[in-house]
Amino acid sequence: MSVSISLPMPARRGRIDLSRPIFIVLALVLGLLVILPLFWLAYYSILDQNGQFSLANFSALVTDPTLRRPFLTALGMALGVGALSCMTATPLAWLVARSDLPGRTAIRALVTASFVTPPFLGAIAWEILAAPNSGLINVAYRSLFGLEAYEYLVDIYTFTGLVFAIACYTFPYVFTLVVNALERVPSDLEDASSMLGGQLSTTLRRVTIPLVLPAILAGTMIAILQALTMFGSPAILALPAGFHVITTKIWSLFQYPPKPGLAAAAALPLLIVTVMLLWGQARILGRRGYTTLGGKNSDPRISKLGRWRWLAIAFVVAVLLLTVLLPYAALIKTALTRTVAEPLTWSSFTLHHVNFVFFEFSATKLALRNTFLLGFMTATIGTAIALVIAYLVTRRSVPGSQMLGYLATAPVAIPGIVLGVGLFLSYSNPNLMLYGTLWILLIAFLTIEMPAGYQQLSSAFKSVHPELEEASRILGGNRMTTLRLITAPLLRSNVIATWCFVFIGTIRELSATILLTTSETKLVSVIIYDLNESGDLGAISVLGIMLLVISFAVVIIANRLPVLGGQRLPIAR
Amino acid sequence: MMNRRTVLSGALVSSIALLSAGGLAWAQAPAPYEPNQEMIEAAKKEGSVVWYTATDVQVSEKVGSAFEAKYPGIKVQVERSGSERVFQRISQEYGSNIHKADVIETSDAVHFILFKRQGWLQPAVPSDVAKSWPAQVKDPDGQFAAYRAHLSVIGYNTTQVKKEDAPKSHADLLDSKWRNRIVKAHPGYSGTIMTGTHALSEALGWDYFEKLGKQRIMQVQSSTEPPKKLAQGERSIMADGNEYNMFMLKESGVPVEVVYATEGTPIAIGHAGLLKNAPHPNAAKLFYAFLFSKDTQQLISDVGGLRSFHPEVKEKEGRTPLSKIKILYSDPAKLEPQIEDLKKKYEVNFGT
Amino acid sequence: MSYLELTRLSKMYGAHPAVKDVNLSVAKGLLVCLLGPSGCGKTTTLRLIAGFVEPSEGEIRVGGRMVSSPERSEPPERRNMSMIFQSYALWPHMTVFENVAYGLRLRKMSREDIVRRVEAILDVAKLKALASRYPGELSGGQQQRVSLARALVVEPETLLLDEPLSNLDANLREEMRFEIRRLHDQYRYTTVYVTHDQSEAMTTADLIVVMNQGRIEQAGSPEDIYKRPRSEFVAHFIGGANVLKGDRLSGDVVDVGGVVLRCGSGDFAAQGPTSVAIRHHDINLVTSAPAPGETNWVPGTVTRQVYLGSHRDYLVTLSNGDAIRTVTPADIAVPQGQAVWLHLPPEHCRALAH
Repeated sequence: MSVSISLPMPARRGRIDLSRPIFIVLALVLGLLVILPLFWLAYYSILDQNGQFSLANFSALVTDPTLRRPFLTALGMALGVGALSCMTATPLAWLVARSDLPGRTAIRALVTASFVTPPFLGAIAWEILAAPNSGLINVAYRSLFGLEAYEYLVDIYTFTGLVFAIACYTFPYVFTLVVNALERVPSDLEDASSMLGGQLSTTLRRVTIPLVLPAILAGTMIAILQALTMFGSPAILALPAGFHVITTKIWSLFQYPPKPGLAAAAALPLLIVTVMLLWGQARILGRRGYTTLGGKNSDPRISKLGRWRWLAIAFVVAVLLLTVLLPYAALIKTALTRTVAEPLTWSSFTLHHVNFVFFEFSATKLALRNTFLLGFMTATIGTAIALVIAYLVTRRSVPGSQMLGYLATAPVAIPGIVLGVGLFLSYSNPNLMLYGTLWILLIAFLTIEMPAGYQQLSSAFKSVHPELEEASRILGGNRMTTLRLITAPLLRSNVIATWCFVFIGTIRELSATILLTTSETKLVSVIIYDLNESGDLGAISVLGIMLLVISFAVVIIANRLPVLGGQRLPIAR
Repeated sequence: MMNRRTVLSGALVSSIALLSAGGLAWAQAPAPYEPNQEMIEAAKKEGSVVWYTATDVQVSEKVGSAFEAKYPGIKVQVERSGSERVFQRISQEYGSNIHKADVIETSDAVHFILFKRQGWLQPAVPSDVAKSWPAQVKDPDGQFAAYRAHLSVIGYNTTQVKKEDAPKSHADLLDSKWRNRIVKAHPGYSGTIMTGTHALSEALGWDYFEKLGKQRIMQVQSSTEPPKKLAQGERSIMADGNEYNMFMLKESGVPVEVVYATEGTPIAIGHAGLLKNAPHPNAAKLFYAFLFSKDTQQLISDVGGLRSFHPEVKEKEGRTPLSKIKILYSDPAKLEPQIEDLKKKYEVNFGT
Repeated sequence: MSYLELTRLSKMYGAHPAVKDVNLSVAKGLLVCLLGPSGCGKTTTLRLIAGFVEPSEGEIRVGGRMVSSPERSEPPERRNMSMIFQSYALWPHMTVFENVAYGLRLRKMSREDIVRRVEAILDVAKLKALASRYPGELSGGQQQRVSLARALVVEPETLLLDEPLSNLDANLREEMRFEIRRLHDQYRYTTVYVTHDQSEAMTTADLIVVMNQGRIEQAGSPEDIYKRPRSEFVAHFIGGANVLKGDRLSGDVVDVGGVVLRCGSGDFAAQGPTSVAIRHHDINLVTSAPAPGETNWVPGTVTRQVYLGSHRDYLVTLSNGDAIRTVTPADIAVPQGQAVWLHLPPEHCRALAH
């Protein structure tokens, strides 16, 4: 006990705390990203055709039924999507995180597959499957039961069809958040309940579910907002069904002669609903303390399914079949046969579409390059910005940091298509000509992905005990060093998840993209949409499958890279 | 490619520009011209010509190479995108004082009304146009002329509908047996269909659309889509759609058939024009004349299935010649102020 | 010469003062305990010293250097302090070695230097064998020692401890108390130790600061605090005392509900209400009446008696309704309901002015 440590101790490095300047820079960047396009939209919403001040656009919202109806339809659709996503994803998440169901890793991978799938691609796949006459399911149904032509089992060109097709690709939002939350709930909380005599179901209902409720609500909210602001799927499915949702209506307002003012005004109710949803979520989350990841950790509890096993398997298979397996089977089949209707046999097999996409279609290479370049850049820059913002906000380290949080969340209220207009208006004047470059797309994607990235990381931050950071501060690390050496590594899996999230979000973005690309800055999503207009389903299928394969490869690599924490540390022991 | 794609940017710019656009250029049509040696030499010095086009990429690339073959030493830069994109791009570039294009071509006649109003076009009349183009399809001031045209036709899937049962007229489409069987493109998203809607509403009255709206049609956006839905067998009848897509499908063996309605078939005209601020004025003039030459017009007919106003162009075997079809014209100058009203009425009857 | 100096320090959260007008000066090398019930402001005071919280009023100086004031607050990383947290705050993604080496790494020391220092401190903390473990693989006591080693390896000028022992079991807690004191004596850094446990404070501190409702109630040596409480709160909170409310008659004589007590020490209010505090074990309980004329004798009735092995704990109710707690040797057994006399020796009666 007499070891003396008597070497001279060097002084602490007198580095300046950069958090204030970083705060200012971020506030400016976010302000530019969010406020500038909104400003132009607001400006246009109060102008009439002749450039005079007028509130006619807003009064049209109330008086014109062709504007009112799409909004109500969209609201109904979004709530339907939210409910369906939540009801599917929550049990699935529990099964994957907490039960002894076989093949849980595979299920996770497949859910990720449905997440990686751009919703518009999914909608196209479901057109191939469930169009009332040519849909493969209906064709099979008729031949199976020997029914007349025009008889059908399912029709995707309906309101319910649309809700279903969207929910297929929004439920992973809920799933991912709930799985992560379930894995973080310390088992002693559940043990405590079982100890008190709680049955599995009681423990679930009274302890586990309430603990992950914020994640469920947050996920459902994301699903609702995604549905509300989604453009691709409704454009593909709602128009044939003969109704508008708010985004397709807004889009139609940009057709010649364009009415950007009216479109800007039509985005206002969306903004209000979103703000209300966010406010509600904040209230629900704010009332309880959810500091769960502290110094002590424990394994999540695994429940034995027993006789429920087969029911669970049936449920999982059904979900995966509908969201991933069938659509991709349809795409693969379509990619490899000349026309949609003919079955895949040796004689109908063709590489025509593959050949077309890779060798004849000149846009493919450029679009692929652009798409992945933008995906990487947006994911990396976006995650970094979101990380710093989430840190500044959750730790309230600079006065006014709450404002950053609002700014980062605000774009969630702006449908991509409206943002596209705002960005166009902001960045296509002669002084600042970004239109026609990839920069405007980068700005668009950063703005669009900021809310999701920020939300994910800020909820992750809330789960890290502040003392872990304070311990670093007091030992001589300033805020940014602490963020880099302690917080970010602790949140490593969340950071990677956010990166992948943003990357995939970027790749599947269509609604703002469609207004901001030019022939030099084409993206795969736009090519797919263009091809859909010309009805070239085979080429779409090839491109879609390729998009999935590459995205998947990126996600897997991101999760395996040793630098990014691929090796497993016994963190959660 | 013929659809009215999200316009917004170009149209926005131009509508802003239009507010401030002052003097309009009204000039007499200039004298017709033929390419001459002097022009060719000057064009060769310029070395290239930039063509903004909305014609299908395969067709436009072929036109480009044909020009390069005919006039070696002059490269054609084909900048192909959808009609509205072309419109958007030129509006934007001109809004920012960038002049890159020599010759412009879109499928939407209304665009040229706007270009002309902006004073962007250089009057020029190739001798082919002066000689044989009907007056409805060229500008009296010589600023543009119909480079191509296509019809918006009725069609059906021949495996699902027998020839004798197939509709012969627009009125036949209102038969209750076609409820739930019809696919139709949207005038709000397709210039071709807007033109057709205008022509049909003048010929048949709006109540034709009122009744058609009750047939529970499948609504798609672009005029290229209905033929594809027909080919898939998703719907048996198309109320409107591009004739050239039907040609392509039919000629590749897909069981579809075109119907030229007894009341008449709407035609959509795609003009081409020479830009006043063309960076390569001589090559531009040479290329502009080339577009209307018999060989080029024959090429777009054969490869693209497009209709030509050149009297010497021979239609492919099996295609009904334009002269045998009753055609419904729509005057873009009359259409332009009505677009908004038509869209509104359409939405009331069709839901979108 | 005082090293750590808090002057008129206040921290408001909205309208609620968490710390109010705290003045304290601590000489270099002392171990001071902030003691008080939860919510008394002791942790906020600690966090103010650490720089995690900025003061609303007042200032903090360390070694004469101003580190906190409402206008300017030096960030924690610039204060050359270390802190031990209630949750230990060990970084789960780093091994024991890496946790301990962290502060040295930030000081840009050479690799060999880091290894040497870390190994030395791990040796002191008996952690050498666990260097490559992750915190999740350690017991509570081991985690505590890692936390200590991590804080000490950087040789801080000031060490802050926030309820460091509250997550340990009783035996370990006792052991660690002495360990902390021993390490303090070895390195002589200035230490501020927050606890709600008075015996923890008694065994470790040079100076105890009792806090209540954001204010300092009393500061002094453990003996001072124990023997000479200056307020009812301190008397109650430290060591357990009976406090009888009354009025001062004259000089050192206080009337508590009809009983006259002479007090050997304390503050006497100029006039009006004065309380008398006396510790449980300073009261003598007898069953026979004292000689008449003796002062500081009070009659009462036993209302509760508990046998605790080493002693007995009595609750005696006086005629005026006041209840007094006292302890006796285990062999003095008085049944419940019996009349008794209590002697409150004047030298143990302490007057507390209101």
